[in-house]
Amino acid sequence: MKKILWLLPIAFILMFTSTSVNAETPYTTWAWGPGGGLIRTQDAYTPLTEIDLPISAAEDLFVTSDGSIFIADTGNGRILELQDFDIVASYGEGILKGPTGLFVDDDGTMYIADGKQDSIVILDRNGNLINQFGRPVEPLFGQDKEFLPRKIAVDARQNLYIISEGSANGIVMMNTNGNFVGYFGANTAKMSLKMILQRLFLTKEQLAQFIKNQAASPSNIAIDRQSLVYTVTAGTSRWESISTFTISGKNIFSGTFGSTSFRDINVSDNGLMITVDGNGQIYEYDVNGALLFVFGAQDTGDQRLGTLVNPTGIDRYEDYIYVLDKDKNVLVVYQTTAFARLVHDGVRLYMDGFYSEAKPYFEEVVNYNGSFIWSYQAIADAYFKERDYSNALAAYKYAENPYGYSQAFWELRNLALQQYLGTALVCLTGLWLLQVVAKRLDKRYRWSNPIRTWFKNLLQYKLVDDFVFMFRFIKQPADSFYYIKKNLRGSLGFAALLYALVVVIRVLSLYCTGFTFSKYPSPAYIRVENEVVIAILLILLWNAANYLVSTISDGEGRVRDVIIGSAYSLFPYVLFALPIALISNILTLNEIFIYNFSLDIMWFWVGLILFLMVKEIHNYSVSETIKNILTTLFTMALFVLTGYILYVLFNQLFDFVSAILQEVRLRG
Amino acid sequence: MVRIYRLFQGLILVGFLLGSSARPLDALAFGGGEPSVLAAQPEIGDVDWRNHQEIPDYFELVAENDNFQLYVDQSTIAFKVLDKRSGYIWSSNLDEVTKDDKLNKTWTAFARSGISIDYLDQKAISERLSITNSENTLNVNLTEDGFQASVKFIDPSISLVVMVTLEPDGVRVEVPFESIKEEDPDFKLGLLYVYPFFAATKEDSVPGYMFIPDGCGSLVRFGATTKATNILYARYYGSDLGMLASIPYNPMVNRPYNFSIPVIGMVHGHKQNAYISVIEEGASYAQVQMHPAGVITRFNFLFNAFIYNESYFQATNRSGAGVITLQPSTNAYDVKIHYRFLTGDDSDYVGMAKSYQKYLVDKGILQRSADEDGDIGIRLEFLGGEKEKVLIWQRLIPMTTVDQMAGILENLDVKDPEVIYYGWQPLGASSMPPKSLKLDSGLGTVHQLASLADSIVASGGNFYLYLDPQAALMGEKGYSPRYDLAMSITNFNLTGYNNRNEENYYFNFDAVSERYSALSEDVFSELNAGLALDGIGSMLFSDFKSKNVLNRENAIISYQQMLAEDDGITSFYLPNDYMFGYVNAYYDIPLTNNGYVYTTDVVPFLQIVLSGYVPVYGTALNFSSNITDELLRHVDFGVYPSYFLTYDVTAKILNTRSNWIYTSSYAQWGDEIERTYKWLDNLLGPVEGQAIIARKVIVEGVVATTYANGKQIIVNYTNRPFSAGVISVNAKDAVIREVVP
Repeated sequence: MKKILWLLPIAFILMFTSTSVNAETPYTTWAWGPGGGLIRTQDAYTPLTEIDLPISAAEDLFVTSDGSIFIADTGNGRILELQDFDIVASYGEGILKGPTGLFVDDDGTMYIADGKQDSIVILDRNGNLINQFGRPVEPLFGQDKEFLPRKIAVDARQNLYIISEGSANGIVMMNTNGNFVGYFGANTAKMSLKMILQRLFLTKEQLAQFIKNQAASPSNIAIDRQSLVYTVTAGTSRWESISTFTISGKNIFSGTFGSTSFRDINVSDNGLMITVDGNGQIYEYDVNGALLFVFGAQDTGDQRLGTLVNPTGIDRYEDYIYVLDKDKNVLVVYQTTAFARLVHDGVRLYMDGFYSEAKPYFEEVVNYNGSFIWSYQAIADAYFKERDYSNALAAYKYAENPYGYSQAFWELRNLALQQYLGTALVCLTGLWLLQVVAKRLDKRYRWSNPIRTWFKNLLQYKLVDDFVFMFRFIKQPADSFYYIKKNLRGSLGFAALLYALVVVIRVLSLYCTGFTFSKYPSPAYIRVENEVVIAILLILLWNAANYLVSTISDGEGRVRDVIIGSAYSLFPYVLFALPIALISNILTLNEIFIYNFSLDIMWFWVGLILFLMVKEIHNYSVSETIKNILTTLFTMALFVLTGYILYVLFNQLFDFVSAILQEVRLRG
Repeated sequence: MVRIYRLFQGLILVGFLLGSSARPLDALAFGGGEPSVLAAQPEIGDVDWRNHQEIPDYFELVAENDNFQLYVDQSTIAFKVLDKRSGYIWSSNLDEVTKDDKLNKTWTAFARSGISIDYLDQKAISERLSITNSENTLNVNLTEDGFQASVKFIDPSISLVVMVTLEPDGVRVEVPFESIKEEDPDFKLGLLYVYPFFAATKEDSVPGYMFIPDGCGSLVRFGATTKATNILYARYYGSDLGMLASIPYNPMVNRPYNFSIPVIGMVHGHKQNAYISVIEEGASYAQVQMHPAGVITRFNFLFNAFIYNESYFQATNRSGAGVITLQPSTNAYDVKIHYRFLTGDDSDYVGMAKSYQKYLVDKGILQRSADEDGDIGIRLEFLGGEKEKVLIWQRLIPMTTVDQMAGILENLDVKDPEVIYYGWQPLGASSMPPKSLKLDSGLGTVHQLASLADSIVASGGNFYLYLDPQAALMGEKGYSPRYDLAMSITNFNLTGYNNRNEENYYFNFDAVSERYSALSEDVFSELNAGLALDGIGSMLFSDFKSKNVLNRENAIISYQQMLAEDDGITSFYLPNDYMFGYVNAYYDIPLTNNGYVYTTDVVPFLQIVLSGYVPVYGTALNFSSNITDELLRHVDFGVYPSYFLTYDVTAKILNTRSNWIYTSSYAQWGDEIERTYKWLDNLLGPVEGQAIIARKVIVEGVVATTYANGKQIIVNYTNRPFSAGVISVNAKDAVIREVVP
């Protein structure tokens, strides 16, 4: 009674929709920022209070649309109903043993997954038993499949979506009579390189000792008004931990940033999704899976308000988030801040398609935090809808959205084309005519002779000659390697120059690639030193490995030949990488074929010439060449491996020596 | 008849207060006042809740002055103080322990003995001994104003002397270091508990609360139950980095505020009796331990325990194996605690704060601030520049040049700005500040800066350069890792991160002093400016660098001497009490507490202590998620506003170490700054430089704060307008009015 008595004032607090900030928030709040990273932002939620409840190891929580809170009091085998944080009823005592999952529909019917007796219990508004059933009897369910219901959700047509522990086939769908309907939305199993290697080399008996590589079963489930099913899965990678399924069971989220220990998920009617993980971190998304905020901290014994020990359930009611903590036996209440309310209002309008109406909200959000890139997406879409393409272009770039950027650019380019195409065509035709006439006249009057002789004189310089030699490879690659081999043309100096060019062009092309095609959202993210080091390392490894391999496999090439030959083999890259990068600036995703295809051709060309190089320089047959190249690649891999092993060994040595020194210092 | 009436009144009151222990959250939610019940019932005449209010005859009177009588029980060295003004008796210990108290033998001894110790053996296993449950020799000698007790615990051969002296304001307890003897090399003194059960109350038998200096101040009301699951241990000034070597960096967590003033206290009966205990010496090795009733025992008590020896983990290899070892020598410092007793109207947290303020003023630490021109200050902190990497070299991104800063200040309609220039050094914020005054050439010249400083000072403001004198930023040049850095007991360089999210090492005192003196001399002579000191006011560590060992207590003295040598003005971010003498302005003052779930109220204790003496500024409002509420709290607590500004757009520093500044552009914030300044200036301007003398919660969410000059500010945190009599305050607003002092 005492406890209930003192819960009253809290209800009183909650009556005011907006109270002041309480204690210092024990956590910082992060939002999705530029470059695929998280950035600090103003608090989205502040902890309001912690409500002690007479519960034990409670596993689930459900808040109805009128704000009643239902708690699956697992340890005490009952369902509690709270109104204004006051316990008003207790259901299912005697029927339930250990309710772990709970769903309450609009009529107040309670659907309960009882983890202790592995059955589903359906209770009416007053707690009377409607139905109780266990493992489906249908053969379709699978003969040796276990039925271990833990969580439950129910859609508008009263289909039960049941999370069965360890079920690799996905969510179990049943109807209220306990008939099996089917499996739904399974996760996919992943093969790692290690597993592939194991499968290659291990015997059947050895393999049998491993746990079967099965898809992780989801850990919790939520369902929205449109009967879309959302699940979270613990123990998978961050990027696969959260999914949403269409009615047909297809996952439509991809690349949503999550957590590896998600516990619960909730989707609200206003287009917001929240999840909580085992570390006490709360993630908020829009319903499309775009991350809005991450915040929360673990209670390490400090008992600071807003920290969590072992959260099991999360739900939202109006401006408040409720989190159930299994170890503390409390309900922790968080309150939306003015800043987050601004974001939410904008998100709601945006999700409903009112882009222009949402824009002012996000413009203010950006005022508060210029790195909150979600807002730029909304602002960009609004501009695009308003046909203000140049502003949309800029905003899409901030939002790091190449698709939107490409679309806006297409529109802009279209406008430009319409305006200038005629003039441009006339000019081009004029230029072409001029060139034809000039050529004719030149043939007759030989105007260009002085230039020709000057050019011929230039060829006396070795480097210039080496440069011109490069173009020979276009027409006669095999021939040209002969010249190299016979020391007739090409030089180590120019090879070095070519390698340097390759590195420079590599870096430049990264900077020059258009936003639509660049893998970096902004040139600021290009790690120049990495690019340079990797390029140089590859060149060195190739040359060293190829020479070493060839000397022991009857290759004729000398070091010099290999170095010069390899350098000249890279000429397609030197000639075309930069122009392709530049052209990408005026292409849109509609023409992605042009971009990708020209890149493919360029690399194929490089590969082809490298192949010819090995063949000609070392005087191999085709099969020998293939063998040589493969061995070279293998040797390169071994070099890297050796380097790594040496690194590890030296590290160990260093550890050993430093440990001895420590010990000596301590005892001595 | 009167007696019965009083008893009845008292019972009702106790009932109310019982209920009110159920109401703490209201107070928390609404700006930290007390619920109306407590505040609206000041006339508590009845004393029926009295606890152990008789002095048993085995106590003898040893000293007396105008206000107090001091009694001692020679067998346990427990003492009692009779407050002659009210007749209230303060007890340092429980006189007797009943079955109902449910204390076991160890706890009974702990509760009955004046002092207890934890001693450590060579394996660092600790054992607790109290006077009444150990073999010891105890000699009590009466002195002129009190008594002196020398105790020797026979088993571990540890002896010490406790001196208790009556003072005009209360009682002083001392344990001089030279009296501590550890004669058996196998045993070391670990912890010393000094009068741990002082003023302990049982469950909710006494209406009142405990005060802890958590954030701006927290109260924990006495109750029969508590939300706490373990007792609170907190080192003043934070834990000793010298013993830990590193603070793990977790950007997801907001670090809790350190206990920055060594003050704890209790109220026994609202507006009836209260005490505070102030540690004058030894605070840096003291630890508050607070036991709310319901954790371990049924008593509410809080006390200081003093740390003399600690064990630490000495790793012997890099993979983390190692041994637990005792520190090589005992921490050397004297313990000196003042208990100050309050009575009547002063017996609440405001009175406690005023008592501490008086203590600081009497010691000459706080001096009245001269500025009373009727306009509040506003802290404007400008980021000069930050560096970025271009290919393989670094360049400065200028965010606010000196000229741009001058332009902004000229434009902005605020008075008395408190301007701080951050990131002024060559290559900006995350490079090491030079030893002489050198500005990055991309920001301007020293000459320009000097004339800007002059014009700011001429307009009534202050100008400071930001400096974190202890921080040796990781990965930066400009110091010698070998000679300049402080070391932990495990012989590692100390590592941590500062308030600006930069990982750093810590300079040893010699390096701090050398660098600081060189730079401050330049700044104070070449500019009309001061230094805004971060880090050094709040970060206190012992340094175990060989031949140069400096413990925390000596570090305090060294820092104070270093600052005393200069006569330039210095302001501090979150300074601890030992810096108060050098604080011209206090930045980032907490407006709240750490949110321990068992604390029941947030109170502006720190603000009341400093009110009238040091202007206090909050954290930068650009990072606030709810500016309206934050401003209300500024007004309520008498705190001046702060903003963090850049001239250029914030996006430019997104990929730098300064990316914790996620919003700062003047173009975005200019109007907001003027609006908030104007609003706050109207309210807080008339009470500038005035001390807070009373604070009262009128109804839930409406708080009245009264200043020494008779002005009262009423803040309404709620969403509804408030009116009572002549007072009317709009929802989420505040008013100022004249009250009869």
